[in-house]
Amino acid sequence: MDEIGLKAAHSAVFKDSDSLEGICTRIEGYDFNQGVNYSGLLKSMLSTGFQASNLGEAIEIVNNMINWRLSDETIAENGSEKENDPTYIESVRTKVFLGFTSNLISSGIRETVRYLTEHRMVDVIVTTTGGIEEDLIKCLSPTYKGDFSLPGAELRSRGLNRIGNLLVPNDNYCRFEDWIIPILDQMLKEQLEENVLWTPSKLIARLGREINNDSSYLYWAFKNKIPVFCPGLTDGSLGDMLYFHSFRSPGLIIDLVQDVRAMNSEAVLASPRRTGMIILGGGLPKHHICNANMMRNGADYAVYINTAQEYDGSDSGARPDEAVSWGKIRDSARTVKVHCDATIAFPLLVAETFASGSKKFSA
Amino acid sequence: MSDEEHHFESKADAGASKTYPQQAGTIRKNGYIVIKGRPCKVVEVSTSKTGKHGHAKCHFVAIDIFTAKKLEDIVPSSHNCDVPHVNRTDYQLIDISEDGFVSLLTDSGDTKDDLRLPTDENLLKQIKDGFADGKDLVVSVMSAMGEEQICALKDIGPK
Repeated sequence: MDEIGLKAAHSAVFKDSDSLEGICTRIEGYDFNQGVNYSGLLKSMLSTGFQASNLGEAIEIVNNMINWRLSDETIAENGSEKENDPTYIESVRTKVFLGFTSNLISSGIRETVRYLTEHRMVDVIVTTTGGIEEDLIKCLSPTYKGDFSLPGAELRSRGLNRIGNLLVPNDNYCRFEDWIIPILDQMLKEQLEENVLWTPSKLIARLGREINNDSSYLYWAFKNKIPVFCPGLTDGSLGDMLYFHSFRSPGLIIDLVQDVRAMNSEAVLASPRRTGMIILGGGLPKHHICNANMMRNGADYAVYINTAQEYDGSDSGARPDEAVSWGKIRDSARTVKVHCDATIAFPLLVAETFASGSKKFSA
Repeated sequence: MSDEEHHFESKADAGASKTYPQQAGTIRKNGYIVIKGRPCKVVEVSTSKTGKHGHAKCHFVAIDIFTAKKLEDIVPSSHNCDVPHVNRTDYQLIDISEDGFVSLLTDSGDTKDDLRLPTDENLLKQIKDGFADGKDLVVSVMSAMGEEQICALKDIGPK
């Protein structure tokens, strides 16, 4: 090759680059020569790349969410007396919406969620029906570890139901039925005699009160007055119980409209608080939280942890930026999607945020 | 019961229960079942095995034997249901009164006058026409849970 050609080829391959030093984080993973320091290991994720970095960012965003106070904002000079009271503005924190799918409550993430409700670290919960009943059933009878490859027909003949690589014996649901039917009878009685109008969130709070077991997140949600919304309440074993109950003792009414008012009000009336969304999985919980936040022109923080992809146009797979186009997340918001199974990512996230000792939560 | 305590009632058996309990899982199609206090004949049974919905359950679709209304119920298969005692008795038709009652001849030779004409149009027409023609008619009376109704007609007269 002649001299000029060589120079051209050289400059094509070795194109001058912009310098990133000081602008972007250097990629550097954890050095095990330091020994096994879990906190250091988690902190190193931010600079490890790919989804580890996304998880690291999620941890940062959630810490921002938790640590924000109204006193961080500049208050308008003609604000009300309350807005100028320093004790008040230092007490105003972000309103945290937590959403998760049912399978996560079948898994050990239930214990992480219980920790968050026990210490009132979240303000509103949205889930699907299994997210309610699996928590209650675990107080009556446990779920076991199985395997994804266990053959369905054999499991059916042995009365075992498979959720991924978990197994729930039929007997658990029979116990749930025996436990809940008298409660539904009592609720019907209260509806007819005391004019109580039940909604999914009221029913769930009642079940949390009735289970009266501190391993249940619903028990703590009831105790700490954290509303749990489940607009799809009939889509699970709980729905089956309502169906059967309607034959023996017809007439129980459950009002969805009141609950959509309550859910949207949580967002609309949140101001001057900021709002943050932590959403595990997709489906109904993801959309319901985003939609409510749309009512206040968007959430200020959003962390998604799920394995869904956007190529099929599904809402489950949609990235936070899609929600920005709807006004469900503010364009000034800090957001991240961690492409990871929540059973791995969420406990690690909570370890470095809510559970890390330096954060204080008012009782 | 001794004779002195024997009470007469014009309708169903004195003191005997009108229904008896039977396990839901054993009630089959064409059997009888009580749903919402009504005696019914089962037209369809389907059982769902124990599963996410709890205990195994039987879903019954049944027709009220007197009003022909469709009723349904779902019962855990291990629970007991009430099954009505359903009796059919044949009586000879003696007379039809102006206000819609029939006069029937019982086996013992007494008359039974407390039964109305049936509401079913076909049956009603058959009875009225047959009686008007002077035919010898025998009616089948179905009784259950304190209610009675003519359910069928037979012409036993000479051809």
